[in-house]
Amino acid sequence: MAEASIVAIVDDDVSMQRSLPALVKKLGFKVRAFLSAEDFLASDCIDQTKSMILDVSMPGMSGPDLQRELTRRGYRIPIVFITGQRDEELRRQLLADGAVECLFKPFNATALLKALNAAMK
Amino acid sequence: MTQLGVVLNGGDAAQSEAGRLASLLATFQHHEALLAEVERTAATGGFCWDTTTDEMTCTREVYRIFELDTATPMTLQRLIAQIHPDDLPLFQDMIDRARRHASGFEYQLRIRPSHLTVKHLQLHGRRRDGAFAQMQYIGAIQDVTQRRTAEETLRNMRCELARLARVSSLGTLSASITHEVNQPLSGIMTNASTCLQMLADEPPDVDGARETAQRTIRDCERACEVIARLRALFAKQRGKTESLDLNAVISEVLSLSWSELQRRRVTLRTDLAECLPVVAGDAVQLQQVILNLLLNAAEAMSGIEDRPRQILIRTQPEAGNRVRLSVQDAGIGFEPPDAERLFEPFYTTKSGGMGIGLSVSRSIIESHRGRLWAQPNAGGGATFAFSIPARANTEHLENR
Repeated sequence: MAEASIVAIVDDDVSMQRSLPALVKKLGFKVRAFLSAEDFLASDCIDQTKSMILDVSMPGMSGPDLQRELTRRGYRIPIVFITGQRDEELRRQLLADGAVECLFKPFNATALLKALNAAMK
Repeated sequence: MTQLGVVLNGGDAAQSEAGRLASLLATFQHHEALLAEVERTAATGGFCWDTTTDEMTCTREVYRIFELDTATPMTLQRLIAQIHPDDLPLFQDMIDRARRHASGFEYQLRIRPSHLTVKHLQLHGRRRDGAFAQMQYIGAIQDVTQRRTAEETLRNMRCELARLARVSSLGTLSASITHEVNQPLSGIMTNASTCLQMLADEPPDVDGARETAQRTIRDCERACEVIARLRALFAKQRGKTESLDLNAVISEVLSLSWSELQRRRVTLRTDLAECLPVVAGDAVQLQQVILNLLLNAAEAMSGIEDRPRQILIRTQPEAGNRVRLSVQDAGIGFEPPDAERLFEPFYTTKSGGMGIGLSVSRSIIESHRGRLWAQPNAGGGATFAFSIPARANTEHLENR
């Protein structure tokens, strides 16, 4: 099996779906994008995923739900959460639960690159 | 002599008996008048009902409540004829229960003494145990229409205010609005970053940058749509214009916010001008403004522990035929340069606030041709006040 090298992006929002993969690719990473946690779980991508950019609130399975499910299945994928909710309490909680970073939307490319570099270590 | 004596003695006896009867009658009449007055005051009449013969004895107040003349003897049928058609089954149920020797009953039902009036009644009955072969119930009938109407008005107002509070404070909505606005903003930021990266390439990826710029425009349009939806959400129907006593408007708000203020350990003092000119406006909108000012004042004092958390709400007539209402708190206050920023949409000092309340309040006051402003108090805290014109050709309402 090829070594995991992909950044998987999971976000249900159309704006992010159109814009984020292009930026992450431009920043020099291999990218796969998914519109839902369920899509990601059903894909053949999990084993090749080195890190994730994961939206917190999505219909159906949420970002933290997916994180727990991956942990349950024995995966330890570094996660950068992104959220439209400027909620410091939520951010603290996510970091405490093992996330690499939690970025509030809108975030800039520098912050994203820093978080991704930390996640890809 | 003896005979005469007897006659005289007999006459004395008759006379004293007559005097006793007259005195008894006077006492009786006095009691009856007293009873009638008490009944009238309590809007409560008494009845005695024999379920075997259906004979009824009722006090005067029952006739008055049912709007029946006292000349005709009361019967069950006369009562039934007045019962609201929708409540007839209920009344029948009461009769059936009584006939089955229930020990007592308590019913609430409506009567329709005329085509125009509906009254709400409360009926209590108790089986009368005693030396009577028949089955008798005695009880009371109370006219509770006024109480019922007041309760209904209060309930409606609570609902309306709760709805307004939800819309104005937007506590629950703010989270989803932030989310909705941040999504396209996030797209814009991401696209712009990508665009810069592409232009920095050697050679520049002009086609890629162009495509990314196009996506940015789409996200901008989406952000505009979100804002347009928000505007539609806040767009208010034109307010009603009615003659209002501002003090009465305040009282209604206070009765509804009392428990909330108590919960926040805030004491409230009122200084309401006794003879305040009538204003023209929409009561619900003005209630919304006052409620917002009150809750803001309470919020500003939530961290205050070293002095009483006190709000002073005051009304006063102003020069130029205007009326002023002010809400003074002992809270954290604000710096004078911020006085105008407070009213900007989305400006907030509260962690959970949207910064909508004051800007909406100001637009409401401006639609009443008034103005709303804020000033720091000399001794700490802030005072928010609005001034609106009194109605032209103003009449004065007697307050309180």
